[in-house]
Amino acid sequence: MSATDRGPAAYAPAAGAAATCVFAVRRSGDPGALAGRTGHAGGGPLRLLPLAGSLWAVVQSVPAAEFTQEALRQRLADPLVLENCARSHHAVITAAAEDGPVVPLPLATLFTDERRAVDVLDQQRSHLVGVLDRLTGRAEWAVKVHIGRPAEARAPARSAPRAVGDRTGADAATGTGAGTGAGADADAGAAYLTRVRGRERDRRAWQDATLHVAQQVHDTAAALAVAAVRRTPHGPRITGPERHQVLNAAFLVDDARAEELATAVRALHGAFPGLDVHIDVSGPWVPYSFTEGRRP
Amino acid sequence: MSGPTVDLDPDNAARDLVSLVLTLVELVRQLLERQAVRRLDQDDLTPDQEERLGLALMRLDEAMTELCAHHGLRREDLNLHLGPLGPLLAEDPW
Repeated sequence: MSATDRGPAAYAPAAGAAATCVFAVRRSGDPGALAGRTGHAGGGPLRLLPLAGSLWAVVQSVPAAEFTQEALRQRLADPLVLENCARSHHAVITAAAEDGPVVPLPLATLFTDERRAVDVLDQQRSHLVGVLDRLTGRAEWAVKVHIGRPAEARAPARSAPRAVGDRTGADAATGTGAGTGAGADADAGAAYLTRVRGRERDRRAWQDATLHVAQQVHDTAAALAVAAVRRTPHGPRITGPERHQVLNAAFLVDDARAEELATAVRALHGAFPGLDVHIDVSGPWVPYSFTEGRRP
Repeated sequence: MSGPTVDLDPDNAARDLVSLVLTLVELVRQLLERQAVRRLDQDDLTPDQEERLGLALMRLDEAMTELCAHHGLRREDLNLHLGPLGPLLAEDPW
C-alpha cells in the first residue's frame, strides 16, 4: 500500500518529477493487450521495461509528488481514490495477463526511476521466474459459499419487546413473553433455562452444519487444484444479514481442470438437504493469491 | 476528501464508552448462560436450583434489554467484529 522505494525521510520530489510505478512482471515483451491501455490517472503511457533473464516489467511514469509515501497515505485513505487506484491497477494487470502468466505486484509499487526499478527486480529474478513457472498454464478460481440464515434463527428468544429496527417480529413464535415482570409463573425460570438450552443447541447445530458445508466444498475443490488459500469470510456488512458466508477460498487450477473443478463444486448444491446453500465459482482470475506476495 | 472523518463530539464519546461497557456485560451474560446450560446438561441441579438459576438469567436478559433501550442501542449493536476471529458475541444464529 505504500511506496517501496524508501528514500530519505524528507523526500520531496522536484515539481514535475516522475516516479516509476510497476504493475507486473511477465515473460512477453510484446505489448499485446496493453496497447492503448492507460494506467493510473495523470500518469504517462504504459511501457514494457526489459529486465534480465528475458523478463519484462509493465511500468508507467507517474507524477512523483502524488506518489510520495505521505501523499499516498493521504490519498489512499479516501475510499474513492483507493477504489480508482485499485481498479486501474487491476485493469492493467488483467490486460497484461492476456498473453501469458504475470506476477502482479502490490498496488502502488513505486521506484524513484526506471534504473532503480530494474535493479531491484533483477535481484528478485529467481523468485519471479519461479512464480511464473508455477503459474504457467494455470489460473486462480474463487469459490465462495453462503448459507441463507434460517428464519427461526433470526428470531432468537428474547424476554422483552425488541428494539425498533429488528429484522423480525417473530418473537411470538419462539414463546417469549412468558413470565416477564414480577408475579411470573412458578416455573418461569426453568422455562427460560429450557429455552436458553434449546437456543444453545440450535446455535451449535447450525455452527457444525456450516463448518461441515464449508469443509466439504473446500475439499472437493482442493482435490482438483494445485494449491488452495482460505481467507476470512466476509461479514454481514458485505453479504447482507440474510446470508452468512462460510467459505471464501481461492484455488490455483490447471487450465485443463478448471471446468472439472467448477462442475464438481457446483454439483454440491444439492448435497446439503435442509440448508439453503449457495455456491459461487468464479474465474479465471489473475492469480493474485498465489504469487507469494514478496515485495520487490 | 470523501473519507470518514474523526468524530470529536464528546456526547458520542460517552455513548461509545457505554456501548463498550455493555458489550463486556453482554459477553459475561452469554458466558453465564452457556455455563448454565452445561450445568443443566450434567443433571446435577435440583428443580429448585434450576428455577432460581433460570430466573436470575432471565432477569439479567431483561436488564440488558432495558439498558440497551435506555441508551438507544440495539442488542446487535453491542457486537464487536474481531476481523479473522469473527464476532465477539454469539450472533443469531451464533
